[in-house]
Amino acid sequence: MINTLGIWIAAVLTLAIYSFLYKDNPFYKIAENIFVGVSAGYWAVVLWFDFAWPNLFEPLFYRGQWYNIFPVFIGLLMFAPLIPKISWMIRIPLTFTMGISMAVFITQIVQGDIFPQLQATFLPLKDVPAFTIFSNLLIIIGVIFTLIYFYFSKEHKGPLGIFARIGIWFMMVSFGASFGYTIMARVSLFIGRVYFLLHNWLGVI
Amino acid sequence: MNLIERLSKLDRRIIFLLVALAVIIPMLVPLNLPVDITKPVKNVYQKIESLPEGSVVLISTDYDPGSEAELYPATEAVIEHCFHKNLKIYMMGLWPAGSELGNVALNQIAQIYNKKYGEDYINVGYRPGGAIMLLSLGRNFADVIKVDYQGVPIDSFPLGKKVKSAKDLGLVMTFSAGDPGILHWIIYFHARYGIPICGATTAIMAPQQYAYLSSGQLVGLLGGLKGAAEYETLVNKKGRGLRGMDAQSIVHLLLVGFIVLGNVILVYQRRKK
Amino acid sequence: MKTIIPLIIVFACGFYMLITFFIPARFAQASSQTLQNWYLGVIAFFVFIGIFNLIRINVDKIQRRLRDWQYSFILLFFLGVMLGAGFIGGRDSRIFLYFFENFQVPLGATMFSLLAFFVASASFRAFRAKTPEATLLLIAAVVVMIGRIPIGYLIWHGFPDLVEWIMQVPNTAAKRGILFGIDLGLISMALRVLLGIERSYMGGARE
Repeated sequence: MINTLGIWIAAVLTLAIYSFLYKDNPFYKIAENIFVGVSAGYWAVVLWFDFAWPNLFEPLFYRGQWYNIFPVFIGLLMFAPLIPKISWMIRIPLTFTMGISMAVFITQIVQGDIFPQLQATFLPLKDVPAFTIFSNLLIIIGVIFTLIYFYFSKEHKGPLGIFARIGIWFMMVSFGASFGYTIMARVSLFIGRVYFLLHNWLGVI
Repeated sequence: MNLIERLSKLDRRIIFLLVALAVIIPMLVPLNLPVDITKPVKNVYQKIESLPEGSVVLISTDYDPGSEAELYPATEAVIEHCFHKNLKIYMMGLWPAGSELGNVALNQIAQIYNKKYGEDYINVGYRPGGAIMLLSLGRNFADVIKVDYQGVPIDSFPLGKKVKSAKDLGLVMTFSAGDPGILHWIIYFHARYGIPICGATTAIMAPQQYAYLSSGQLVGLLGGLKGAAEYETLVNKKGRGLRGMDAQSIVHLLLVGFIVLGNVILVYQRRKK
Repeated sequence: MKTIIPLIIVFACGFYMLITFFIPARFAQASSQTLQNWYLGVIAFFVFIGIFNLIRINVDKIQRRLRDWQYSFILLFFLGVMLGAGFIGGRDSRIFLYFFENFQVPLGATMFSLLAFFVASASFRAFRAKTPEATLLLIAAVVVMIGRIPIGYLIWHGFPDLVEWIMQVPNTAAKRGILFGIDLGLISMALRVLLGIERSYMGGARE
């Protein structure tokens, strides 16, 4: 019973969202506001139980880690703009999180991206089938010319201009492929909803 | 006004209607078109086939309802393959909602294969913190994972005791819709510990992953619903992936038709000018 | 003080994290772990302030009877229900998960699926071969769209292989080039932030 009700709720909300395709209407607006309300509530609960409580409050109250008062204080400073006199203090949580995430960023990029990707670009051009040589050569040229396109310290004229233009062609093929995949993704999401309506709700497939 | 001029002013709701019909009709009347298998998908299948019985596969469901349609069918197909091969599944999620969705698939399929919780599979639920959490997790699982998704101490399960660090894993399979996700598994588990990584991503993310496939940082890839359909074909399971492929085909043809028509209109308008 | 203290924090936290990444000593790892836990706790407050503002804006909308103010009641009601279910019943309570499964999952999935229609409309109206580059993009897109579906395989058995080659060669080359570009940009940006050269993210007037 409760499950059937759930499926009906989900189906009605799904149709309410799709009604927007005809034109904006109250059903869509109701569904949209339910979505925002439910999502915001969901994230508040998740962030409290999975982030704030286990990392800050539980160690502070139950494990005697008194020094956890510092991050709680830093977190509360997010509300500093509500008091004009100390509004600048919002910079403290901002810089604290920025500092840590930038450090993680750097290690992430160097270790995971730059070195392995650079290594993978030095592809063999000998002792492999002719077509593989052609493909490997294309990859090497493509990477270099794409990078040349992003080299803005010198005007793209003469040979540099030609290389940058070839770089654009590679990027256009890549963007085209991404566009094709994007369409695929969006259509798949709609297929998912139609499957829900026809299978779970109406039971006709 | 001639036909082309009329088409150029086509109401977009007619386009919407055609798209809807192109999905609904093939789902009601399936064409059962055969699905070709691509190399990245075959690589995932072969990697799982090659793992010795009893190996642990870490499955990470890093997505949310917005991409459930693309990644849930792949999740089901891979779990089924792992259980069929008698591999142990250690499930977690870097996204809160993904962890809940993955749990549904895991429990349903475990029942079919008579698998025992704690011994054959375990779910440690949502693990917040993305990159920062994975950094600690790779070093020592016990630092990060103390309880399963229901709050039961992890050491009370045989599988929980078995997995102490990244090196105890045979494979990481991530179902990824963005950040945190596949990139972080590659960086923190492959680059640092050499653990093989396979992924299923949304179709939007798939083209980017080819750079990692070709560098060997990623063993295999299921891209979007098509990837799931290919995997379902390999494991002989007719799931949502395969069911959706007929509709996917018809809509793609329709959209190619729209693109061609749009360009015919462009040529006509240019000539007229 | 208003600038110096934040800059010291960003510099100290960032470089400490960077250094401990390469030092396996127990003290370094434990202290970096504590800093990471603090980070996870603090980022929760970013969402709390967001929700606080969401409530404030909607209450204000109702009080001032702004356009569509009636819908704000719905938003606040469901926000309240979720907060009540989560904080009273618990994160894993049946009622919380029920709302998640039957409200959030379908609404989230349907919202994103709307894009299928808009992408279709855009392909008809905006995807035009106006320049040689645009033509190349268009051809690649059409080949990928057809080659990635079962019908493409029926039309020509070589289609999937052609698409796979496009993905593995020109696509990979361009994506890798772009990746290097982005990565180098990100590293320089990250260093600028840590060294206090880049300050725009701090917002507000410079003092």
